[in-house]
Amino acid sequence: MLRPIRAYVRFVDRLNTIVGKFAMLLIFLMMGILLCESISRTFFDTPHIWTMESAQFTMAAYYMLGGGFSLLMRAHVRMDVLYSRWFTKTKAKVDRFTIFFMLFYLGVLLYGGISSASYSLKYGQHNHTAWAPPLAPIKIVMVIGIILMLLQAIATFFKDFAKARGEDLS
Amino acid sequence: MSYEMIALMMFLSLVMLLITGQRFFGAVGFVAAASSLLLWGDGGAEMPFNAAIVLLNWYPLLTLPLFIFMGYILSESGIASDLYKMFHVFMGPIPGGLALGTIVLMVAISAMNGLSVAGMAIGSSIALPEMLKRGYDKKMISGVIQAGSSLGIMIPPSIVLVLYGMIARQPVSQLWLAGVFPGLLLAAMFAIYIIVRCKLQPKMGPALPPEERNLPFNEKLKLLGAGIMPLFIVFSVTGLFMMGVTNLVESSAVGAAAAMIAAAIKGRLTRKVMNSALHDTLGVSCMFMWIIMAALSFGAVFDGLGAVNAIKSLFLENWGLSPWGVLIMMQLSYIVMGMFLDDTAMLVIVAPLYIPLIIQLGFNPVWYGVLYTITCQIAYMTPPFGYNLFLMKAMAPKEITLMDIYASIVPFVIVMTTGLGLIMAFPEIATYLPDLYFAG
Repeated sequence: MLRPIRAYVRFVDRLNTIVGKFAMLLIFLMMGILLCESISRTFFDTPHIWTMESAQFTMAAYYMLGGGFSLLMRAHVRMDVLYSRWFTKTKAKVDRFTIFFMLFYLGVLLYGGISSASYSLKYGQHNHTAWAPPLAPIKIVMVIGIILMLLQAIATFFKDFAKARGEDLS
Repeated sequence: MSYEMIALMMFLSLVMLLITGQRFFGAVGFVAAASSLLLWGDGGAEMPFNAAIVLLNWYPLLTLPLFIFMGYILSESGIASDLYKMFHVFMGPIPGGLALGTIVLMVAISAMNGLSVAGMAIGSSIALPEMLKRGYDKKMISGVIQAGSSLGIMIPPSIVLVLYGMIARQPVSQLWLAGVFPGLLLAAMFAIYIIVRCKLQPKMGPALPPEERNLPFNEKLKLLGAGIMPLFIVFSVTGLFMMGVTNLVESSAVGAAAAMIAAAIKGRLTRKVMNSALHDTLGVSCMFMWIIMAALSFGAVFDGLGAVNAIKSLFLENWGLSPWGVLIMMQLSYIVMGMFLDDTAMLVIVAPLYIPLIIQLGFNPVWYGVLYTITCQIAYMTPPFGYNLFLMKAMAPKEITLMDIYASIVPFVIVMTTGLGLIMAFPEIATYLPDLYFAG
């Protein structure tokens, strides 16, 4: 495998590991927001209008930013009726071809994400709720998550390509 | 090309892609994105991301990572093995007692946890080695663990019922209540089966020798203490939710916090446990969320094609089925699909087609949610390609072969099908509690 490709794979793996380890901790932020709200409502009778959306936004950041890392950790299920019976090399050979279907989906997702985020930025779109937070920031986070997923998918393609030729990239 | 043909093409190309073993979300997302581009051109390009926005606004989904995290912490906390020790001593004297204890353990785990996988993992790591050591029949062991773990999604809290509630637009609290009696009914039927079978064939599950169960009284009392922690956790999740103190999502956060407290009290909340729980939670949550995201855009294309009406006319006009005929057809199709798909996949791809039809035919959607979950569980346990079967094989020691596992589930599938039939014939089993609770 070419040097730049090796460097790319190593870089993306490390980038997604760092982002993923950060995203992992967002679950505590979610728990914190929800616990604070239930305590403050039950004991102090002061509900807040921002809790539901901020918890929702944290959740979106959690799985969007964690996406690339989850791909790296091989957390995504496949239908393995046939797949599980193949040799590692055969798996890699099939994967390096079928991964383009996934790349296509991620590409369309990214296109829609960029167009939706830039719309929100341009017109200062707000959520139609009492708190009415601006939507652009969370959409930008989601787009970043899709980009990370796309980068990781390309790195996976290189790894499969190498594996199909009997080399090891990871 | 007619809309029905397009819908059929989409479904077939999805199945083809899935067979290649590509990641589920990628395959579903590709078919959705490609067909919406082909059908609606530029406007269709926005659809996959619109699904991500819909997902962003689905508040109950927040329970997913929190319940998963709670499950991982609980299984590491040692609460389950304490509980099992308690059942072990109290039920050991009966023939098949450990198998009964496993069923009761599963009920307790189900009440603390929303996924059936967690029950399976706890069952095969705690109950399986004990039963194997005591000379229980391999088929009995593997059957009990698989059947018991299926209770996980019936007894509240249940993630599958949360997802069902979102798709069917039914209140989750009603669905959770509706799952209670059917879950207990199935547990009781499993227990009866075990007792009868072990009476007839004592080899299946020999009773414990007296020296193992004759503990001093205060030892026994101490064992009973193992039940306190689970009660505290069940109360913090389901109790507070049903009392209206917390909403659904908050109750999952309270549950996760309670699990962490319980693990900390037992001294099991180490850095290593925390780290692996956080990693696994992120992995499983991302897998679920990306599949649901892809499936939502798939569903949106199907909606645009009017696939629900197509299926309705196929069932009612072309095949001339009665409403009950349609219902039974649907359950059968789940069993066939469950050999290939997992529960989330079925829920997000197939259920959106069926549920509107169920409501139009005049069935109670809450009751149908219970039928749906039982059917899915049966589906995963049916060879050759049940999802649970492979999971069981992966978790069990080498001496239990896939053939043992196939043979072990037959009686339990029969029991579950009988239970399903009972709930179909007497919908009150499911609807009694929600009706009682929400009558006023």
